[in-house]
Amino acid sequence: MRRLLGLVWEYRSRCLLVLVQQLLLVSIGLAILGFSGIGIDFIRFRLDPTANDPSWLFGIHPPASLSDMAILATIAAVVLGLAILHAALRLWATLSASRLAQTIIVDLRVRVYEKLQWLGFSYFDQNNSSSLINRVAGDVYAVRTFVDGVMVEMIIVFLSLVIYTAYMASIHVMLTFACLATTPLLWTLAIRFSRMIRPMYLETRERMDQMVRDVVENVQGVAVVKGCAQQKAQIEKFRQSNNHIREQQHEIFWRISMFQPTMGMLTHLNRAVLLGFGGYLVAQGQLPLGVGLVAFARLLQQFSEQVGQVTNIANRIQTSLAGAERVFQVLDAPIEIRSPAQPRHLIRSCGSVAFEGISFAYNQDRPVLEGIDFSIEPGQSVSIVGPTGSGKSTLLSLIPRLYDPTGGRVLIDGTDIRELHIDELRRHVSMVFQESFLFSNTVAANIAFGNPQATQQQTFEAAKLAAATPFITRLSDGFDTIIGEHGCDLSGGERQRIAIARALLMNSPILLLDDPTAAVDPETEHEILQAVDEAKHNRTTFLVTHRLSAIRRSDLVLVLLDGQVAQFGPPEELLDQDGYLRSLLSAQVEDLGGPLDERRLAFQN
Amino acid sequence: MSNVAPSITHLAKDEREIHQRPLDWKIINRLLRYTRPYAARRTWLLVIVVVRSLQLPALAATIAAAIKGPIQAGNSAGVTWAVVGFLALAVSTQIVAHFRQRLALELGESVVHDLRNELFAHLQRLQMKFYVSTKLGRIISRLTSDVENVRVGVQEVMFVAMVQSGQMLMAALFMLWYDWALFLVVLGLAPVLAGINHYFRRKLSKAHRAVQESFSRVTATLAESINGIRTTQAYGRQARNAELFRDLAEDHAGYHYEIASIHGRLLPLLDMNSHFFIAILLLLGGFRVLNPAIDASLGDLIGFFLMAGLFFSPLTMLGLLYTQALTSMAAAERVFGLLDTPPDWDDPPTAIDVPSVCGRVEFRNVSFEYLPGTQVLQNISLVAKPGQTVALVGHTGSGKTTVTNLVAKFYLPTSGVVMVDDRDLVQWKTKSWQQHLGIMVQHSFLFSGTVMENIRFSRPRASDREVHDVVEQLNCMDVFRRLPDGFQTQVGERGSNLSLGQRQLVCFARSLLTDPKVLILDEASSSVDTLTEMHIQQALRQLLKGRTSFVVAHRLSTIREADQILVLDEGQIVERGTHTELLANQGAYRELYHRFQGG
Repeated sequence: MRRLLGLVWEYRSRCLLVLVQQLLLVSIGLAILGFSGIGIDFIRFRLDPTANDPSWLFGIHPPASLSDMAILATIAAVVLGLAILHAALRLWATLSASRLAQTIIVDLRVRVYEKLQWLGFSYFDQNNSSSLINRVAGDVYAVRTFVDGVMVEMIIVFLSLVIYTAYMASIHVMLTFACLATTPLLWTLAIRFSRMIRPMYLETRERMDQMVRDVVENVQGVAVVKGCAQQKAQIEKFRQSNNHIREQQHEIFWRISMFQPTMGMLTHLNRAVLLGFGGYLVAQGQLPLGVGLVAFARLLQQFSEQVGQVTNIANRIQTSLAGAERVFQVLDAPIEIRSPAQPRHLIRSCGSVAFEGISFAYNQDRPVLEGIDFSIEPGQSVSIVGPTGSGKSTLLSLIPRLYDPTGGRVLIDGTDIRELHIDELRRHVSMVFQESFLFSNTVAANIAFGNPQATQQQTFEAAKLAAATPFITRLSDGFDTIIGEHGCDLSGGERQRIAIARALLMNSPILLLDDPTAAVDPETEHEILQAVDEAKHNRTTFLVTHRLSAIRRSDLVLVLLDGQVAQFGPPEELLDQDGYLRSLLSAQVEDLGGPLDERRLAFQN
Repeated sequence: MSNVAPSITHLAKDEREIHQRPLDWKIINRLLRYTRPYAARRTWLLVIVVVRSLQLPALAATIAAAIKGPIQAGNSAGVTWAVVGFLALAVSTQIVAHFRQRLALELGESVVHDLRNELFAHLQRLQMKFYVSTKLGRIISRLTSDVENVRVGVQEVMFVAMVQSGQMLMAALFMLWYDWALFLVVLGLAPVLAGINHYFRRKLSKAHRAVQESFSRVTATLAESINGIRTTQAYGRQARNAELFRDLAEDHAGYHYEIASIHGRLLPLLDMNSHFFIAILLLLGGFRVLNPAIDASLGDLIGFFLMAGLFFSPLTMLGLLYTQALTSMAAAERVFGLLDTPPDWDDPPTAIDVPSVCGRVEFRNVSFEYLPGTQVLQNISLVAKPGQTVALVGHTGSGKTTVTNLVAKFYLPTSGVVMVDDRDLVQWKTKSWQQHLGIMVQHSFLFSGTVMENIRFSRPRASDREVHDVVEQLNCMDVFRRLPDGFQTQVGERGSNLSLGQRQLVCFARSLLTDPKVLILDEASSSVDTLTEMHIQQALRQLLKGRTSFVVAHRLSTIREADQILVLDEGQIVERGTHTELLANQGAYRELYHRFQGG
């Protein structure tokens, strides 16, 4: 709450401008109404001299020399003049209000987005991506609403109610009170109603969402539904959730159609009071017809509109607080991995990598890596092998500091990577993930993602090295094809080759490949591995893989079992030893279809 | 090379759906047909609407009469009577308002409810071809936003338009009665007002669409930025992305500002109009009232003033309603478009129910094309004897999955015949055939719910005992028992709480539960850990035993144990035989086999 107020303070001058404009608008509107009233009263006075003399503004009486029509024309002209002023001011006010809102939104959006760009991987592991998207897309609106929809609006409503009441009271105090007597009732009713109806609407939303989820699953699993011949059961299920929605809706309808006419009746009641009491006063000559009765009628309407605003504001406070909390959660999240204040620089490094006593855990009770020690010479290629969950990917992600180890240190060319500037470190290390994320952008832009300044020639070369040129040139627009757009769905193997090209264009001395063939058909696998072989030249390369052919072609093999280095050495050597690598060999050569018992034995070694 | 502006994400230039369409009586008639089951409600609503269009001007007229009569005359008793009359009228108005609102809302909801049911039931009738060629988002918006727009059309447009025009007409009559000369002025202002409204509404709806489009650019970029955050960070693109995003956010704000500036011009113009009207009323009305030669009274002037409000506000409202009507029209057209999409084929009336199946499957010269002109299968002939396992191997796109789709009768062959137990599959009732079928898709699709519910999906009435038996048979009881809540474990959206291997086992159990005679299995290509892999292989062997099976194979073990291997290439069978036969052949299979081995 305090932070929200702080936010209001940040935009105070714009808020103040909006506030002043709105109050001016209310006042001018009132003046227009007043002059119209005077006009009516003047006519009445001329018709019936026994009626009250119109209450001229500031006691200025029109000079007697003016004819009736001239006076009426003057009043009409004043009304018109004020109306033009009102219109101009309103245009200006609308624009400043919008500018205020948009400034806040852009500022907040960019702030949250920027923050998200720098938050560590663990933050994204813990937070659901659609909720994060919502914070930048939707929740920032909620925060903005607090500034212009709650704070500024509240002051406006309050002050205009005061102005209206003051104006009415200045004409007739008793009548004012009589007409506004139902206001507190109106107010309470409205707030109570919105409290009652909101959870019901949420419930409808919930049921609708459930229905949509069911349909989504039905469509995505259409082969299963048809294959199991379950259409009838699905229709029945849908019918039920549809009925469920209708029941809930009917509950709401009933309440709304009770509430709104009741509120309308209260407004009519006010009018009846005005008509009765005000009419009586006019009849008694205690109240002017125009400035009094007619103006009151208009004011009452505006008054109840403003009262209605109060309920809206009350609702907005809740949603804006909830939204603000979610936005501030992001803004306050600590950035775990930071560059040091005085980073050291790597002179164009050769790419030696060393792990010294590294241990790592995502959460404290379950260590993923323990006591990892090894070092790699520049230009060597290392295959990392081990069963699922043994920590292979984690080990890789420590090198570009996607995570910081819990204990020990990682050295590149003898320097602890925590002493380097993050940007510099990550320029030194490029990475290909298990399943590569490509942006819906052109193929060229995706390849140049890490190096937007790359020339066309460099992009082409990287693609060529990654064995991606043949299929890229076959795409409808070649390198300018937008990925993911109609008809351009790349296969897993193609995506991986673009990702490899992207990594190669970084031209960094260290290349990490995290099982790049995990999600592709066996048929495409060897094409990727060929690209990997090309990429290995002149680079220190880490490759997570299960493929013996790839393992055999690397300089060193590191076998991870349960987060520890079980074997480390040249592949020929390890294949001679009795260990995981040998069992992998036998499993693959024997082909997974061999007799079961034998295989089980092999894996237990 | 890069003629595209720098940005993080490019939005697909999808064929955009039209937003509005002109009124079309055919569509309106068809919509009205949906109100027929609720004819009583609809008729009442019509009556109420007429009553209400009289009541609103009557209320204003009462006030005017009170001012003109007793108030001006100083008659206190008359004022009391006027108030009583006004209150009585007000109460009746509000009671009518209650019914008017409730009946309209209920009518709208009923139509929406029926439409949704009909849409969903129709969706279940449509075949694979539709699902492959239609985006999920489209289907969902038919059932949600489009139906909502139809609702507004049914419950608001027609009835509100009737109330508003009735009110306008009544107000006009009253004004004519109060002061015909002034009414002529009002009549002159009306087209101006309508014109202004029309002009700005069109600009507004364009601007709103621009905002929506720009907002989808924002959200698409956001979604990609967050889903691809690991890539962004690994490549040090944070600052550049933030910069691009600022441009985007500012661009988006610009569209909002555009809307504000249109509103900023429209609303003051509307205000001006009513203020201008007041000025004229004062001047002209005053002249007429003050001029003794003309028979006009102040009370009439005030009454006129009150009526003018009732006359002008429907103008704005009717403009809005017209826009809404066009939107509803477009939505209704899309909804009906889906309802009118015919199924790919209907079972012939002579189609028979299949009580039992032996499981002999034969393809006779089957060819198939998804799109005319591009053959996916060419002249395929094959026989699978009851109980045989047929392994389909070949490159991506060679037509393996298509063969299984034809067996499942997800599609009909373009030419040739698929026979089951020596009868053309076309002559089998599709649903009846699929009841004898077990299908396991490549991604091991699960529905959200528990493991138990998922296994039971294929036969909702199966008892716990039966499910357990099936799992026991697959020899993977321990796998399910080890789950956090055993069989009651929630599998999460699309099974995300389970590992890939566990998901496959659930799918196996789901298929086995119906004891199908013919099995279709699209093996997952991604690897799972060794222990689960062993479970899967073991279970698979159980599953395939005694059933005719078509397997799109990615496991060497499956291939080796198959009774028949079909090697497909570009939609043709290039080799067939058993593993040993084919290895000896020195052909395509041998090459594939070695590649599989990673040799």
